[in-house]
Amino acid sequence: MGAIYTGSGYWSVGWWILFAALALAMTIYFRSLGRGDYKVGTEQEEFFNAGHPVPEDPREYRFPAASTYWGFTRALSRYYDFLFAFHTGFLQDYVALTAGVLALFGVLALLV
Amino acid sequence: MTGSMPYVAVAVLFLCGLYMVLFEHNLFKIALGITVMEASANLFLVVLGYRSGGGIPVYTLASREAMVLPTPQALTLTAIVIGLATTALLLSLVVWAYRHYGTLDIQQIRRLRG
Amino acid sequence: MRLDEHLPALLLALPLLGAFSAPLVGKGSRRWVELLLPVLSGLTFAVAAALLHRVSVGGTQLYVMGAERAGLALPSGMSLPIRIVLEVDALSALMAASGSLVAFACALFAVPYMRRFSGFDKFASLYFLLVAGMLGMEVTGDLFNFFVFLEIASVASYGLVAFWRDRPEAIEAGLKYTVVSTVAALMVLFAAGFLYGNHGVLNMAAIASRVDLGVADKVAMALLFGSLAMKAGAVPMHMWLPDAYGEAPSCVSALLVSVSQASLYGLFRTSFSLFGLPRVAPLLGWGLVVLGLLSMFVGVTMAIVQKEIKRLMAYHAISQTGYMLLGVGVGLVASLSPARMESFGLVAIGGALYHVINHAMYKGLLFLTAGAVYYSAGTRMLDQMGGLARNMPKTASLFALAAAAIAGLPPVNGFTSKLLIYQSSYALSPFLAAVGMITSVLTLASFVKIFQSAFLGPALPELSEVREVPAPMLAGMALLALAIAGLSLLPGPVLEHMVMPAARALADRGAYIAAVMGGGM
Repeated sequence: MGAIYTGSGYWSVGWWILFAALALAMTIYFRSLGRGDYKVGTEQEEFFNAGHPVPEDPREYRFPAASTYWGFTRALSRYYDFLFAFHTGFLQDYVALTAGVLALFGVLALLV
Repeated sequence: MTGSMPYVAVAVLFLCGLYMVLFEHNLFKIALGITVMEASANLFLVVLGYRSGGGIPVYTLASREAMVLPTPQALTLTAIVIGLATTALLLSLVVWAYRHYGTLDIQQIRRLRG
Repeated sequence: MRLDEHLPALLLALPLLGAFSAPLVGKGSRRWVELLLPVLSGLTFAVAAALLHRVSVGGTQLYVMGAERAGLALPSGMSLPIRIVLEVDALSALMAASGSLVAFACALFAVPYMRRFSGFDKFASLYFLLVAGMLGMEVTGDLFNFFVFLEIASVASYGLVAFWRDRPEAIEAGLKYTVVSTVAALMVLFAAGFLYGNHGVLNMAAIASRVDLGVADKVAMALLFGSLAMKAGAVPMHMWLPDAYGEAPSCVSALLVSVSQASLYGLFRTSFSLFGLPRVAPLLGWGLVVLGLLSMFVGVTMAIVQKEIKRLMAYHAISQTGYMLLGVGVGLVASLSPARMESFGLVAIGGALYHVINHAMYKGLLFLTAGAVYYSAGTRMLDQMGGLARNMPKTASLFALAAAAIAGLPPVNGFTSKLLIYQSSYALSPFLAAVGMITSVLTLASFVKIFQSAFLGPALPELSEVREVPAPMLAGMALLALAIAGLSLLPGPVLEHMVMPAARALADRGAYIAAVMGGGM
């Protein structure tokens, strides 16, 4: 059902959805085994904040988008320094890179 | 050698235009550099069609056989009109850039980077 | 007069009619232009779909502008195609259909989105010119006509990128895009001049049958290849793309994705049909592969650290274009030997073309959802958004679908086309597939970042008044989501009837030439 041949294997959408539905059914069953006898409105309903008190202002416990993947960018900091230096924002660098790549292709084409 | 002189002129004009776009800082001079590059492209197209000793290709029962090619002239007209549209839009963008940034120096217009 | 014989010309005539009548209709009232824009875009999509059907049934369609037949027989018996010939083969029809679908969805989106801004009739006029230029680039068979439509699309997009002219960043983006793009288009004109001067014909099939790879031909090849790669957004010539896509109105950004893909179509035509000879195929093929690898990796690593939602998505457009360049490059390198072509070359080209139409759909949907967030919440910076899934549930779920598609999560269509590209490029060199997979992981990372910061998380007090977007915007987004669902759930029929015929049409240089020149020239 809906299988395509990818050159060295098969990909079938129908079977994948079937297996995913099975996994989803199992997940919902396991989730339904929880306890329903908690008291509403007490500390049992608060979400877990690693033991710290939950702040009132939601902005205090948000993780701003600018600092996501800090570890990744810090680990590759030399590569990122080079990359940000490369993307200067000067219009003339845009044109110079285009002209440079075209010249490179021209030289390579004439050599072949 | 005179047969190749027009093509040398095309190359010189093109390089002058490219130099203006790459190394001039004033926005109007960059726009002018693009205009010079377009002029070199138009010259290239017209020169392509020239046939030595050829006549104007508008006669039906012409007196001589050799004619200059008319197709590149049509291509050049199209390219001139396209260049006109682009230059008009580019110059109006330059005017608006001056209104917003207060300067015509391309090195100062760099808010979008990275 | 049978209408379906004139479909290629209708495909170009309808948007041009819209472009020139929009200012006139706008003199009446704005409501009429708001009706004209979606209706004519929908009609254009219907014509493109009919053309796709006609091509899949009847083979390559030729349409000669202004004459009955393509060739003019000279007294010596030689036949020259001297008129402008529209040559619509399976690849052209597929890309025209997907581009016009995106144009229709964005036209539906644009009607409420631009309600806060004046000059809507001029917006509609530029929009139709952009659509006409994109479709013209894809169906034409004449090299100078290709240049003219390229310039039409480019000039219309210069105006549309700088449309919100009260923002300095938009003017700056428009200025930079205009200068770089004009230089590249001039290179295409030079290439057309070189080829005309060398061979005396402008028809692409006629040039392809006469290519002799002298100095002039090689210079023209390098100029065409480089400029069209720049217009498609390949690294290292990509720097205009985040500026232009980030600052344009969102409906225009989504359409600009399809316009860049039309330049990509031109690049594929140049590499395969015009210059696909064995002597230069390794250079072109490996050139495409290298450009693809650079685009994939640089695009996604720059995207992860962006703070503004549309600029981030624009860097992802560069990265996904790298996948398409990689697939077609692998196919071109494999075309040198029939055994390799049979085993992985055609699959690579098919995967890349499938990725082209998938990308148009899901990237269009992503830009439209970003536009919906901008319309409701009034901000594009990720730090200022939060918890919007409560207020805009439909937009959030559409975004989740499109993000799953771009990250390549099964069962959505992005996974299918990426799988085809991985498995075929692995057969050429495992390094290519490795770079592709790293890119895919980083793509998923950056879209999780957007989804978490924009839609999940606690509700911010300043965004409590945010409401769901109006119905036509949701209709446009739902149309693209429907296309994504269709492409995901029916990969077999889509591949067999639409994508693989296009791949075979691209790889078959002889058939492209024979359609115009009549074979045996």
